[in-house]
Amino acid sequence: MRGAIVRTARVDAERDAQRGRVGRELTHVLGQRKLFQKLTPGLMHAFIFWGFLVLLPTIAEAMLAIVDPSWSLPILGHWPPFVFAVDLFASLVIAGVGVAFWIRKVQRPDRFRGSHLRDADRTLVAILAIAGTLLLWNATRVALGTYPHPAAAPVSRALANLFAGGAGTETASRILVWSHVLIVLGFLAYLPGSKHLHILTAVPNVWLAKPRPSGRLVPLRLDLEGPQEDLRFGAGTAADLSRKQTLDLFTCTECGRCQEVCPAWATGKPLSPKLLIMDLRDHVSTQAERVLSARAGGVVELQPLVPAAVDDEVVWDCVTCGACVRECPVDIEHVDTIVDLRRHLVMAESRFPTEAGRLLRGIEGANENPWSQPPSARVDWAEGLDVRILQPGDRAPEYLFWVGCAGAFDERAQEATRSVARLLAATGTDFAILGPRERCTGDPARRMGHEYLFQQLAERNIEVLGETGVTKIVASCAHCFNTLANEYPDYGGRFEVIHHTELLARLIGQGRLTPGPDARAGTATLHDPCYLGRHNGVFEAPREIVGAAAGATVEMPRSKERSFCCGAGGARMWMEELEGTTRINDARFAEAAATGADVVATACPYCTVMLDDAAKSAGSDVRVADVATLLAESVLDAPAAGPGA
Amino acid sequence: MTTAWVHAEVPQTGADAAAFELLAAARAAADVVEVVAFGPGSSAAAEALGAHGARRVYACDEASMASARAGALILERLIQEHRPDLVLFPTSYAGRDLAARLQARTGSTLMSNATAVSGPDRARTEILGGTRIVDVRLEGPTPRLVLLKPRSAEPEPVADGGVADVVPVAADVPADLREPRVLTRQVEAGSGPSLDDARVVVAGGRGLGSPQGFEILAALADAIEGAAVGASRAAVDAGWMPYASQIGQTGKTVKPDVYIAVGISGALQHLVGMKGSRRVIAVNKDADAPMMRLADLGVVGDLAQFVPALTQEIRRRTGS
Repeated sequence: MRGAIVRTARVDAERDAQRGRVGRELTHVLGQRKLFQKLTPGLMHAFIFWGFLVLLPTIAEAMLAIVDPSWSLPILGHWPPFVFAVDLFASLVIAGVGVAFWIRKVQRPDRFRGSHLRDADRTLVAILAIAGTLLLWNATRVALGTYPHPAAAPVSRALANLFAGGAGTETASRILVWSHVLIVLGFLAYLPGSKHLHILTAVPNVWLAKPRPSGRLVPLRLDLEGPQEDLRFGAGTAADLSRKQTLDLFTCTECGRCQEVCPAWATGKPLSPKLLIMDLRDHVSTQAERVLSARAGGVVELQPLVPAAVDDEVVWDCVTCGACVRECPVDIEHVDTIVDLRRHLVMAESRFPTEAGRLLRGIEGANENPWSQPPSARVDWAEGLDVRILQPGDRAPEYLFWVGCAGAFDERAQEATRSVARLLAATGTDFAILGPRERCTGDPARRMGHEYLFQQLAERNIEVLGETGVTKIVASCAHCFNTLANEYPDYGGRFEVIHHTELLARLIGQGRLTPGPDARAGTATLHDPCYLGRHNGVFEAPREIVGAAAGATVEMPRSKERSFCCGAGGARMWMEELEGTTRINDARFAEAAATGADVVATACPYCTVMLDDAAKSAGSDVRVADVATLLAESVLDAPAAGPGA
Repeated sequence: MTTAWVHAEVPQTGADAAAFELLAAARAAADVVEVVAFGPGSSAAAEALGAHGARRVYACDEASMASARAGALILERLIQEHRPDLVLFPTSYAGRDLAARLQARTGSTLMSNATAVSGPDRARTEILGGTRIVDVRLEGPTPRLVLLKPRSAEPEPVADGGVADVVPVAADVPADLREPRVLTRQVEAGSGPSLDDARVVVAGGRGLGSPQGFEILAALADAIEGAAVGASRAAVDAGWMPYASQIGQTGKTVKPDVYIAVGISGALQHLVGMKGSRRVIAVNKDADAPMMRLADLGVVGDLAQFVPALTQEIRRRTGS
């Protein structure tokens, strides 16, 4: 049934999953790379996984040995390195099971909360029994003198001392090989209904995963003029889930690594990426027959995924930070699924947190920005600065500076915008802004699920950008940066897009910006914005700037790929955070303040606003500032220093 | 020949524009238009309804019939007897209640948010935030049920209108269906005018420093007629005020004559909710706060001294 559900599901042609498939299979599956993100559990899993790869031929050997006790694997079974490997890896599997039980029974990490613990116990006991019976069977064969190359199998040889040889050992040998094979077969029968099914589904799931960067959402492409049958408004019922989305559900082993890193779960919200996947899986399983008959053209009533499988609140808690996706050893893509659930709620049912309505109306409305500010106010921040506003027909600058709505309208974000403009001007960089012709990139609308609105904005922005003739864009907001760089190409907008931290770091590297040592801010800690760091891999550029502009730097416990969100992504910036034990921005600010830093450096206006709010509500005098602001103060405002070169 | 029914809500002042809009819309959809009306004044409205094209009014004047539970039962019986092709309801609380209950009984298609009907099975609506208009064909058993949005049609008397025939309908329903049953009643805490329609809004932010700061603001609001107390997101996040009093992007939008911002720096999130105010007075210890730039009158100083003094002066001058 699970197979049929996956097989009949819609294949998303937009996934563009061609690139990097083989590499991912080698690193993620064979190399176990993502499992090693946690060392002890990673080693435990690698022992068992690699162990079973080595032991596969011996299972075949055992099956044939049931018929003919004297039979052993031709060639391989007589090759001393393989004999040694079997001995070693069977032992490592047993050690791995030991570690796994220690983790589960002694350590008991919180990530297992909500997982099926007994299913895991049964699986581990079965693995232990399979490896144990194999080793003991080999030991009896050593004792009976029928094992090829006992010298290469030290563990089996040591265990052989348990057996005296003769008829008793022969009987024990028969019992052990029979048990071994029966346990293997029993385990295979247990597998399809168990979460351990991942041993079969992980390989195709990794194969179907999205290539990086992870910031690109799979587009929906709404063509309202096209055939009605092709119109899809996200995932409303189990039948709407794509093949990858369905396979994700049957690949989850409930390891909870996603749950452990989720900002929503960490601050007491109902959302856990693991529980979301489990709830969807249980729902799809109960709806399986209906889904299959619906796909076969039957008229059946399917329950809505929200709230039958997942509560509304769970869907809206997500900040789309991607920590779960990055952590998942089997490449489950929680964020795309959550956005697909939102798409259905927003576009088909108009159901979303009330307070976010103003965000959508603002973007939809004549002003085309989340705060409904007049387009003319987009240049207010540039007052007193020499910034060229690009008029239709003007010569294209080398860089178009994409300011973004937050950077243009928000008092605190404007500081960074001004700093970027001053630094670019000071180095003689040829840049200009769109001014009133800029509009929201559509990122918050898209993350909220309003794909149609996003699509309209993308098309309009690409048209304006195309008319200007610019080829390079420098974006200040990490969200604009991600959307322009990774999502606009799907709509024909292909530009060379960089983030302001990348350009400023380059200018420092070229010696065109030389921070003055006297004017350096105190100790700074860098908060990696999700959409700059984890989603796009830009970690070093902001660090180079902080390193140059601050007296000293200190890292937070969670940084770079494992940075913890500020709480504003996924359009959460425009929603209330009323549930939970703490607010995400407060939790992150507390982590930053605990480093003892004087300044929390950011590189995204959302992060600046969220963390600054948290600093104020904590009554802290730790400063929150964009790296560009720190750099401008160090380079331009220092008494003795000016721009280099 | 097609027949459309209109469920008219007849207020005590007689049939009004809401019913006439539905009649105008129904005339575009069917050959014959008739009205069902429950509650006092229904029969008496026959003349006004007839002038707007209703041939017949199925009326039940009993007050208890205004209950949607009773109405749905009666309406279902009338439909079985007279078999109209289409029934139009106003998008009102009562209209939605009744239409939904009727739909559960008849199993017919119920379309909400319609902006027009062009035939007994054709309706029009807006989707995707009003950016697209779609025509919808209604399927399933007759009559199709449509909830029409307010102001979707222009009320227009017909040239050959007369008094509609009144068909009295017996209020023959079980007693327990007649009265809506009120299980609990919850009153939103708070006194004075609501934030939405207050003439003067006194709003506080993080600068108040504690929930006690809002007591000072409440005293000021108390001294001004038609004033209500609001809060910035920071004050609500701090737990000093309930979310219902939050003004801003993710809270309420207010447009009072006078907005008094006390200890509010003026983050974009907040400004969005109050920038439509006619006059803004800002009280803040920071002269550079964005709210000061927006304000018509800015007071730089200690709010704990200034606000009580202002309250006292207002009380002295108004003699309250």
